[in-house]
Amino acid sequence: MTSRQLVRPLAAPQAPLLARPYYSEQGTSPIVTSLAHVPEALAVTMPFIATVLGPSAIGARTKELAILRTSARLGCEYCVATHSVVALDSGCTAAEVRALRVGTDESDAIFSAAERALLRWVDAVIGATGAVAPAADLAAHYDEAEIVELTLLCAATLMLNRYCTALGLPVSAATVERLAAEGL
Amino acid sequence: MGSVADAIANGGMGGRLWLYSNYHCNLSCSYCLTESSPGVRRRVLDAAAILARAREARELGFTGVGITGGEPFLLEWMPALLAELAEILPVIVLSNATLFTGRRLAALEPLAGLPVRIQISLDSASPQENDAMRGPENFAKAVAAIPALVERGIGVRIATTLEDPDGQDPAERDRLCELHRSLGVGDEDHIVRPIIRRGRAVAGDMGLAVGFDEIEPELTITADGAFASPFGPTVRAGELDSDLLVTRTVEPLSVPAGALARLVGSAESGRDARLGIR
Repeated sequence: MTSRQLVRPLAAPQAPLLARPYYSEQGTSPIVTSLAHVPEALAVTMPFIATVLGPSAIGARTKELAILRTSARLGCEYCVATHSVVALDSGCTAAEVRALRVGTDESDAIFSAAERALLRWVDAVIGATGAVAPAADLAAHYDEAEIVELTLLCAATLMLNRYCTALGLPVSAATVERLAAEGL
Repeated sequence: MGSVADAIANGGMGGRLWLYSNYHCNLSCSYCLTESSPGVRRRVLDAAAILARAREARELGFTGVGITGGEPFLLEWMPALLAELAEILPVIVLSNATLFTGRRLAALEPLAGLPVRIQISLDSASPQENDAMRGPENFAKAVAAIPALVERGIGVRIATTLEDPDGQDPAERDRLCELHRSLGVGDEDHIVRPIIRRGRAVAGDMGLAVGFDEIEPELTITADGAFASPFGPTVRAGELDSDLLVTRTVEPLSVPAGALARLVGSAESGRDARLGIR
């Protein structure tokens, strides 16, 4: 347990009954080992996360653009590191991942028109309180179901960003090594 | 009532709702599951909460209530609570019986004839052996309290906890049974069970290791949440074990009860509480 972690991770032998299906011998996410303190919350949160952030009708690359952009904007060290690796595994280049982490208009130029529209929508959704300015070109690239799913993806990522940052969840050594190998 | 009542009716889940009224105790037994002693954090469930859970339990299809701790009778309101609980469901309350003298004994008299039984720990017919595990003078106090309760018409059950029940010397078992009969407690009210390797028994290298597959699931409510068994909310080196935690939510009772019923329902077929631990 690192000094920044607010709660003790529950190791596998202490995993509550409802949490056990989410533990893996290959390693268990600190999101799981922290949520396990409230197993009934874990039992609904993990399927929700899997549904919203996992494989769906929208391609993995597109989803990771939204997740990584949101996490970078929110300054979540855990989610940025973890999803940088997922983005690489979903077809993003190291340059694209770096651009998402920096998040400037110039760096966005390397993305397609549809992806730039998505990044502008992400910025609008997470960037202000109150009303969200309508995205002029979003509907040109995404249908209603996709807009709903991508907006929910931003909102769920934002929730996770604050959860992981507030509890000080640690980035795994394997993730740190992989990012170093990619020059990130 | 639905799945909870079904799980109870088909034997998948025990019909008794257990409640840890408190964790503190006047004794510090060597095999205590909860590392209870006079100085531990009390973590009391108040009487109103216990009554509310018992009422919910009846509605959900539970058939009885068990109170344990800690030593429940350190709570002055326990006798009055037991009388109220008996109007809702039959009650069993676990006690070391070392406090049943004078004013505390008199306070139990209204329980006479009610569906309340006090389960008292007595581990040996030998004062030396019993007290080695349970503390000085425990034997003398328990054997004084048991007939006093029986004489007052209060139901008593005796529980003997042993490292190896199957390996008990038959002569020792006969002496113990002769003792409880002489105290007014029949064989049908004497249970023998193994020490469970949890809590203080781990440090003492004692007892039988058990997990979810070896216990009879019985919903157990504590100040820290709901567990799958009264053997669940154990404490080791001051830390609460969470491996048998079901939910942190205890109110409404349908939340943990439903979760445990689903866990029991999703367990592999052939699963049984093969140790028969009570």
